[in-house]
Amino acid sequence: MIDEPYRWVEAIANRREYIESELAPGSPTLALSCEEGVLLLTFGKDRKKIFEVYDQIALGGIGHPGDIERLRMMAIELASTEGFARSVSDVSLRRMATYSFSPTLKQAFEQIYGAPYLARLLFAEVGATPVDDLFVTLDYDGAMTANSMSSGKGRDHFSVISGSRRSAEQTALFLRNEEVGPLSRTLPVAVRAWGVGLYTANEDHADVPLGDELKNFLKTHLKAYSVEAALLERKPKTRIAFTELGEDKFASILAEYKE
Amino acid sequence: MTLLRRSGALREQNHLKGHLPAVNGHPSVVNSHPPVVETIATTVLAFKFSDGVLIAGDRRATAGNVVMYDRADKVLEIDRHSVMAIAGSPATAWEMARVLEHSFQFYRRSQLQEMSVEGKVRALSKLLRDNLGMVLQGVGVVVPLFATYDHGADDAAKVFFYDAMGAQFEATDFAASGSGGPSVRSILYYENAWGKTPLRELDQKGAITIALRALDTAAESDTATGGIDRLGKIFPIVKIVNQDGITTVTFDVLSSLFQGTLSPS
Repeated sequence: MIDEPYRWVEAIANRREYIESELAPGSPTLALSCEEGVLLLTFGKDRKKIFEVYDQIALGGIGHPGDIERLRMMAIELASTEGFARSVSDVSLRRMATYSFSPTLKQAFEQIYGAPYLARLLFAEVGATPVDDLFVTLDYDGAMTANSMSSGKGRDHFSVISGSRRSAEQTALFLRNEEVGPLSRTLPVAVRAWGVGLYTANEDHADVPLGDELKNFLKTHLKAYSVEAALLERKPKTRIAFTELGEDKFASILAEYKE
Repeated sequence: MTLLRRSGALREQNHLKGHLPAVNGHPSVVNSHPPVVETIATTVLAFKFSDGVLIAGDRRATAGNVVMYDRADKVLEIDRHSVMAIAGSPATAWEMARVLEHSFQFYRRSQLQEMSVEGKVRALSKLLRDNLGMVLQGVGVVVPLFATYDHGADDAAKVFFYDAMGAQFEATDFAASGSGGPSVRSILYYENAWGKTPLRELDQKGAITIALRALDTAAESDTATGGIDRLGKIFPIVKIVNQDGITTVTFDVLSSLFQGTLSPS
């Protein structure tokens, strides 16, 4: 039955609908260039969603924890194997995403007798300057976006994944008005951007919220969430760029949203 | 016996008799092939002082009586808080350092927690043990030092030394290895027991000065140790491990401290 082209398309469409509904409650996860490096940030309720992959690469993911775990291990193994067999400088996010992740995700998605990955991933790779930072998002069907082609035309200094397309788009619109600055200025921007993402994930909220509306929204919702953030340092002391940013770094920023 | 030796079935085991195999230079292999002269090195030392662990090494690599390289880096960073200083064959030691570095980081990334100090120390021990076959054939002996910082332990600064078979020993105050190891060990013992200040109470400047002096002394009587080449501006590599991570002491600091040593005010 599934051999008929129409049935196959229908099965794929059903599967897409099912995965989208599973991913919908995902908390927005974003990566932003700043002068000191790349900031990754999300707010969560129970489990970790931002991970170190390699010396200069980090990963944020929303979706089923089991699938994120499988993909996370795949990323670490790919990067470590390449880095050990050749050199750390041969590990490249662009190659890893294009040659390994995208085909793997696409294949799992289209093999309709097998299980797809219920996951949406955001990879960040810190470069020598903010212009060299690379962000790649990968969807459950293998669709891949990067913040720019390698020539760097029309590039964004951020990337977002979220439960719904609209939420990600609205957060991107919000972030496009911001500029690359020092980390101290990027942290509050990231918190607000996350708020925009969560706000617009609700189908009743059409547009990006304005000043007080966003503030009040964050005040109500942040009660249930804890911040999770990491910095990929541009000039780390050792080769390892990934540092987790504890809740203490956000104390003064989050105080604004406490009632 | 002569026949066995000539056929290669029996080899001279002289190089295994000494306390530190590298002391005896390249192994004397008696068979029809010309002996492989292995590149070896070194004097390395580590001791605890008031601000953590200092770990240092000279920079000479030798093969027999030939100086192969005078800018070898034998003090290798393994992760944010661990440093391995190598004595013996760099070919094996650098590979061991690479394996360790990757396995510690792979562990941290995949398990989402740092490997315990005990686990790290054992990992190096296992690599040395795996290398034993090569060592018995007379090549690739490595006798490293390992310094790390154990957050949460009472005595957080840690120094370990090993033998060529992989036995690990934790040093109370100091350790040294390599062909110049015995003289450095004596110096550090003397400083610790009879010097003005025990090693653990030294400040950073005092610690660096003693490390430089010890390596210079080792180089005086050991051709496999580079010591300090002021004309060529080659100083030992000196690193400090403490709770903030690893700091490499810069050339300028080394140079000015050593100048101060030469002409005390």
